[in-house]
Amino acid sequence: MICKMPERIFNLIVLIVSVHASSVAHAAEPSTGEKLFALKVKSLFAEKCIACHGDNPDEIAGGFDMRSRDVMLQGGESFSDEVLVPGKGEMSFLYLVTTRSEEGFEMPPKEAEQLTREQTWWIRDWISEGAPWPDETRVAEIQSKYAEGVIVKTSGGLSDDWTNRRYKPEHLWAYQPLSVEKVPETAHPVDWFIDRKLNEIGLTPAPVAQPRELARRLSFGITGLPPTPVDATRFEATATSDVQAAVLDYARRLMATPHYGEHFGRQWLDVARYADSAGFANDYSRPNAWRYRDYVVRAFNNDKPYDDFAREQIAGDEIDSSDSEKLVATGFLRMGPWEQTGMSVFRVTRQQWLDDVTDSVGQTFLGHALQCAKCHDHKFDPIPTRDYYSMMAVFSTTQFVERDAPFMEKENMTGFKPATEWTRAKIAAYQTQRKELNARVTNIQKQEAGDAKVGDNGLDPGDEASLARMDKNISRHTWEYDKTRPIAFSVHTGNTIERKNVGSRIDMPDDSWGKGFLEEDTILTGGDAYTRGGAVKPGPLSAVEQLGGMTAAAFPDGHGKRRLALAEWIVNKNNPLTARVMVNRVWTWHFGKGLAGNPNNFGATGKLPTHPALLDYLANWFMEHDWSIRKLNQLILTSATYRRSSRYENPETLDEKDPSRDFYTTYLPRRLTAEELRDSMLAASGELNRQVGGIPCRPDINLEVAMQPRQIMGGTASVYEPDPLPEQRNRRSIYAEKIRGLRDPFLEAFNQPGPDKSCELRETSTVAPQALTLFNADEVLDRALALAAKLTKNAVKNSTENDAAIVKQAFELTLGRTATNDELKVCLAHWAQATQEESGKRYDPKNISSSVKRTVMAEKTGEPYDFIEVMPAYETYVPDLQPGQTDARTRGLAHVCLVIFNLNEFAYID
Amino acid sequence: MNTHLTNAIVPSRRDFLYGLGGGLGSVAFSSLLQADDKVQPSTPRLRPSPKAKSIIFLFMEGGPSHLDTFDPKNELTNRHLQEFSRSGEQESAMSSGKRYFVKSPFDFIKAGECGADICTEWIHLKERVDNICFYRGAQVESVNHPTACYHVNTGNQFGGDPGVGAWVNYGLGSVNENLPGFVVLPRSSYPQGGAANWSNGFLPAQFQGTPLRPEGSPILDLNPPAGVTRERQRSNLDLLATLNNRHLEQHPGRSDLEARMSSYELAYRMQTEVPDVLDLDGETKETLDMYGIGDSKTDAFGRKCLLARRLVEKGVRFVQAYAGNWDSHDYIQRAHGSLIRSVDRPIAALLKDLKERGMLDDTLIVFCGEFGRTPDNGLRGGGKSYGRDHNAKAMTMWFAGGGTNAGHTIGATDEVGGEAVECVHHIRDVHVTLLHLLGLDDNRLTYYHAGRFKQLSQFGGKVINELIA
Repeated sequence: MICKMPERIFNLIVLIVSVHASSVAHAAEPSTGEKLFALKVKSLFAEKCIACHGDNPDEIAGGFDMRSRDVMLQGGESFSDEVLVPGKGEMSFLYLVTTRSEEGFEMPPKEAEQLTREQTWWIRDWISEGAPWPDETRVAEIQSKYAEGVIVKTSGGLSDDWTNRRYKPEHLWAYQPLSVEKVPETAHPVDWFIDRKLNEIGLTPAPVAQPRELARRLSFGITGLPPTPVDATRFEATATSDVQAAVLDYARRLMATPHYGEHFGRQWLDVARYADSAGFANDYSRPNAWRYRDYVVRAFNNDKPYDDFAREQIAGDEIDSSDSEKLVATGFLRMGPWEQTGMSVFRVTRQQWLDDVTDSVGQTFLGHALQCAKCHDHKFDPIPTRDYYSMMAVFSTTQFVERDAPFMEKENMTGFKPATEWTRAKIAAYQTQRKELNARVTNIQKQEAGDAKVGDNGLDPGDEASLARMDKNISRHTWEYDKTRPIAFSVHTGNTIERKNVGSRIDMPDDSWGKGFLEEDTILTGGDAYTRGGAVKPGPLSAVEQLGGMTAAAFPDGHGKRRLALAEWIVNKNNPLTARVMVNRVWTWHFGKGLAGNPNNFGATGKLPTHPALLDYLANWFMEHDWSIRKLNQLILTSATYRRSSRYENPETLDEKDPSRDFYTTYLPRRLTAEELRDSMLAASGELNRQVGGIPCRPDINLEVAMQPRQIMGGTASVYEPDPLPEQRNRRSIYAEKIRGLRDPFLEAFNQPGPDKSCELRETSTVAPQALTLFNADEVLDRALALAAKLTKNAVKNSTENDAAIVKQAFELTLGRTATNDELKVCLAHWAQATQEESGKRYDPKNISSSVKRTVMAEKTGEPYDFIEVMPAYETYVPDLQPGQTDARTRGLAHVCLVIFNLNEFAYID
Repeated sequence: MNTHLTNAIVPSRRDFLYGLGGGLGSVAFSSLLQADDKVQPSTPRLRPSPKAKSIIFLFMEGGPSHLDTFDPKNELTNRHLQEFSRSGEQESAMSSGKRYFVKSPFDFIKAGECGADICTEWIHLKERVDNICFYRGAQVESVNHPTACYHVNTGNQFGGDPGVGAWVNYGLGSVNENLPGFVVLPRSSYPQGGAANWSNGFLPAQFQGTPLRPEGSPILDLNPPAGVTRERQRSNLDLLATLNNRHLEQHPGRSDLEARMSSYELAYRMQTEVPDVLDLDGETKETLDMYGIGDSKTDAFGRKCLLARRLVEKGVRFVQAYAGNWDSHDYIQRAHGSLIRSVDRPIAALLKDLKERGMLDDTLIVFCGEFGRTPDNGLRGGGKSYGRDHNAKAMTMWFAGGGTNAGHTIGATDEVGGEAVECVHHIRDVHVTLLHLLGLDDNRLTYYHAGRFKQLSQFGGKVINELIA
C-alpha cells in the first residue's frame, strides 16, 4: 500500500534529524555501501540473523558468526569463504541463502521470517559495494543523518536497540491523533469518503438493493432476526418513494426493540468471551455470569454512552460499589477461562489471570494484543515489556469476588423458582444415591478391615468412583444455587489472598487490605512468574500517550484506584485508539469487514485501514455525539454505501479493480451466524420466546451429546438436561447456557467461536457436517414441523388455492419475500408427494426416561462401571411438537419447510 | 476469512496449490478450502523425501506411568516407602503433605533383540519392541489434565489452537475426498478439555478432527431420523438443488453458493461411505481375533486400532485413538494392570498388521499420554493402595514406523524416574519431529492469524534427530 506520509510524522522526522544534525559535522560523505550497512543491513542482521549467529557465542549455528566483518569473511561450516565475497554480492552465499534458492539453507529458516526481495537486495548490494563495516560512531552519524522512519519515545525497552529502533510511519497510524477532514454539509459523510475512493479507482458503485433485500439486511443487521412479513411489506411500500427515510424509520423501530441489544450484545460478548462456566478440569458453573450478559444487552438497548460502558466494565466497583449495575459490569474482567484446583499452583494461575486480563483489556478497548510484550519488547509495535507490566500492575490489586448486589428492577427474575427446584431435585437424587451406596460400602469395608490387599479394598469397581463422582456433582450443583441469588460475578480492590482450591463462591473479605499481601509490581523476566525483573508502577501504554499527544496520566499505586485511572485514560477523548477501535467494531458488525481489517489488532501486523480518513471522521463524530452507538448506527445505516446491492453488473471489472472487495462497491453478502440461523428458524416457526434476559436457558441439544459422559476432575459431570418446557427452551441463542466443556454441536458446526479467545469477527466455513446438521438434526426438523403446523392450522380447507397461499406464506416467513410461480409449482408438487408418503406412517411419541444408565471408566480399577443418573428435568419434560401429533398433510409440508431452511437464500443475507 | 464472502468469490492460491477440494464440482469432505484475508505462504512445504504419510496417534489419556510400563527403576524398589522430599517453589496439593517413594508393582524384562525395558504385563507388545523407538526425554508444561492434553495435542496448554492432526492436514492435504483427513476415535466419554483437543483452532474448519463416536451415530446427524427414507431424503435434496439453482442463476459468479450446494451432495455420499469404513465384516476372523475384537476386555480399543488401519488405508492422514483413563493416583497395580491388558493386544496387533501389509514404513505410530507420573505418592491405604501423581518432567512415549529409530531407547530419566535428564526435549520438539517425518517443516508450516504467522511449535523447535532412523 502506498501511503502519503502524514505531515505530522514528517515534522517528527525533521525534528529528530535536526536534533542530531549538530553532531554530524566532521566526516566525509558516506559511501553507498556504508549507508546500506548503517541504515539497512546492520539492523536486518540484528533482527533476523544474530539470534542464532552470534548472540550466543557458545552455540553459533553452522559455525557462522556474524558479529563482525572479519569473522564473517571466515565463513562457517558450509560454503566457507564463499559466504561473503566482498564486491561480488550475486555470488556470495550470504545473499543466496536469503533468496531461499539454496535447498536446505533457506535463511532465516522460518518461512514466516523470510526476507522481502528488497531486503535480500540490500545484502547483495552491500556486499557488491565491498561489504564495508563502519564502526558504531560512524553508524550513528550516518543513521542520524539519513535514517528513515521514526523513533518512538516509550517508557524504554529492555535494550537500547529496541528503544532506538525506527518505525515505518504508516504502521503508527493508530497512535496518531485523529485527523478529521471537513465534509461538505450536503454530503453524507460515509458516502463522501467511500465515493471519493471509488472515484479514484474508477469504479461505479452498485445500484441500491431491492427493498426486500434491504429489509432483511436491516432486520438481521440490527436485531439478528428476520423481518416480520408485515414489516417487510411496509418497508417495501415506503422505500419506493424515499429509501433513505424508509431505512431510517425502520432502523429506528428495530433499535427500539430489545432484540437490538441482544444482537449487538452478542457481538460484544464474542469479544469479551462470554461463557457460563469456567473451563478446564472442573468447568465449574459461573452462576452469576448471566447478569453481566444482561448488563451488556441493556447497555446497548439503553444506548449507554460507550465511555461509560468501558469505564464500568474496567472499574465499575471502583466507581460506585453500592450500585449493582456497576458491580455486575466488572464481570468483563473475569470472562476468560480460569480455575484453581488442588493440582495447580496459585501463583501460576494468578499470573495466568493477570496476563489474560492485561491482554484482553488491550484487545477489547485498545485494539492491541499485548501478550506479545510479555516475554520481550514487542517485535512490531512500540510497546516495551515495561509497558506490559505497567498495565498489568493496574490489575495486581484486583481480586475475584462474588459480591452482594441486589437485583435491580430492570433485571429479569422469571424462572428462578423452577431453576432452584431442579437444582434441589438433582442434589437430592445424588444424596439419596450416596446414602444408599455409603450404607453398602461401609458394610463391605468392615468385612475387609485390617487386611486389605494391595489393589483390592473390597469395593465394587465403580463404587468408590461413584462416591467421588456424587460428592463432586453435589458440590457443583450446590454452587448453582447462586444463580438466583443477588450476587455479582465481580472484583474488588485489595490484597491478594492465596487460594489452594476454588470450588465455590469467593466472599468479600471484611477488610480488603487485611489478610493477604500487596503484590509486588515488577517486570517478570521472560514472562516467568518466578523471575522478577525491574520494578514498575501502574501505568498506560507510553507510546500511545507520546504519539497521541495525550497529557501523561499519573496512575495511583498502593491502595489507590488503579483500574479507574486506566479506565479514565482509555476513555480520554485524546486517546487515539479507543474511539477508533469501537467505531471500527460497529462498522465491522454492519459490513462484515472492518475499515481496519483486524478489529482486535491496530498494530503494525494488523491490516491497515482502507479508509483512514473515514475512520477518523467517524471516531470523532462518535465522541462528539456522546459516544452513542445508536446514533453511530443511524449515521452508517442511512448511507448509500449501506444500501448497495450485493450484485454487480460487471463482475470482471470489480475483480480487476477491487479484487479483495475493499472499496464497498457492493454490499458484501454474508452468511447467517450460528445464533441467527437457530433464532430465525424459531422466529419463522413462531416458537421463539422473545423474553429478554434472565438466568441461562437450556435448549434441546443433540441428545447423544447431552447424554455422553463428560469427564471432569474427580469423575463424570451430570448429564446435560434441557429445560422441561418448550417456551423455556426456545429462547434466543444468546440466552442458552454456554458451557465451555460442552458446546452445543449445532452452534459449533456453524462457527460459533469457542469462548476461550476473543473473537473479533465470525468466521464462515462450508463443511459437509453443516449439511448433515441442517438436514437431519432434530433441532431443525422440529422447527420445520412447527412451521408447517402453524401454516396449516389456520387453513384447514384443503384446496389448491389455500395450499398456494400456505407455500407463499412459508417463503415470506423465512425468506422475507413471496414465492415465484415456478417455485410455487415445484413446492406444491413436492408437498403433495410427501403428504402421500406420510399418510401411511405412524410415529412413536418422543419419550425420554427421567433416569439413564451411564457407563464410564473407574480411575482406580481401569474398568468400566455403570451407574444410574436421575434427570429431574425429564419428569416434566414436554417435547416440541412431534410428528405423531400432526397429520400427514402437515408432515408433508414440513419436508418443504425443511428444504427452505436449507436454502442458500435462507443462509445468506444479500 | 469472515462471514462476508470477500474472498470466496476470488479463489485463493491455496485452492490450487494444495488441491484440497479440487474444483468446485468435487468438494472434499470438509468442502472448499476457503480463502483467508492474508495470503498464506506459498512456497512448498514438503521436504524432498518424507518418511511417513500418515500418523496413528494412540493417546493414553490420564497420563500413564512410565515407571510402571517402560522405564523401570530399581532405585524405587530400594527406597520403597522411604520418605520423599521435594524442593522448589511450585507447590501444589499433589506435592504437599508427607510423601514416600513407591516401587512399581510390576516385574520388568528386557525384551526383543534390542533388549528394551518393558513390564511383563505387556504380553503381546513385548514381542514387537524391535519395531519400537522408546523415548524417555520428553517434558511438558502442565500437571493438570486438560491443560496438559491441550499441550500435547495442540502445543498450547490453554487450548484454542489447532491440533497436530489439523496442522498435518493443512500441510499435506487429504487423499480421500469423501472422508475427513483428521479422524478422532474417542472413548464414549471425551477427555478433559473436550473437543478442543482436536480443534482446527485458527485454521479453516475443514481441518478440524472429526470424531467417529464409538456409540450411537458415528458422526452426529449422519443419518436422517426415523421415518425419513433415503428416497425421501434424495427427493428433498433434489428440491433443494432445484430451488438453489434458481437462486444461483440470479447470483452469477458466486462460488460460495455453489460450494454450499456441493456440500449437500458430499454429505449424502458420506452417508454410505462412513458406514463402509466402519463395517468390519470384510475382515477375517484371524484379524479380528488378533486385535482382540470380540473379547470384552480388548474389544473397544481393538476396534479403534483396526479402524485406524482401515482409515489410513483409505487415505486418512491422521487418526487419533483414545484409551484410558490412566490417571492412577491409587491402586495402580489394579488400574494400570487392567488398562495395559485392554490396549496391549490391540496395539501389538496393529504393529504386526501394518508390518505385514507393508504399511509400517510410511505409517507413524505414536504412543503417549499427557504427562508421566511421579516416583512418589502420599501414604495411601497404609501404603497398600498406592498409585502415582502427575509428573510433567518425565514420561515415556514411543514411536513405531514412519522412519523412526526402531529398536532403540532414547533419552533417560534420573535414578528414581522423577525427571528426564538425557536427550531432554520440550513437547514442541516432539511436534517438530513428527512434522519432519511427514516431510513438513514446522518453520514453514505457518498460518497467518491475529497479526502473526503461527506454527505448531508456537515459537519454533528442533528436530530430535535421535528418534529418526
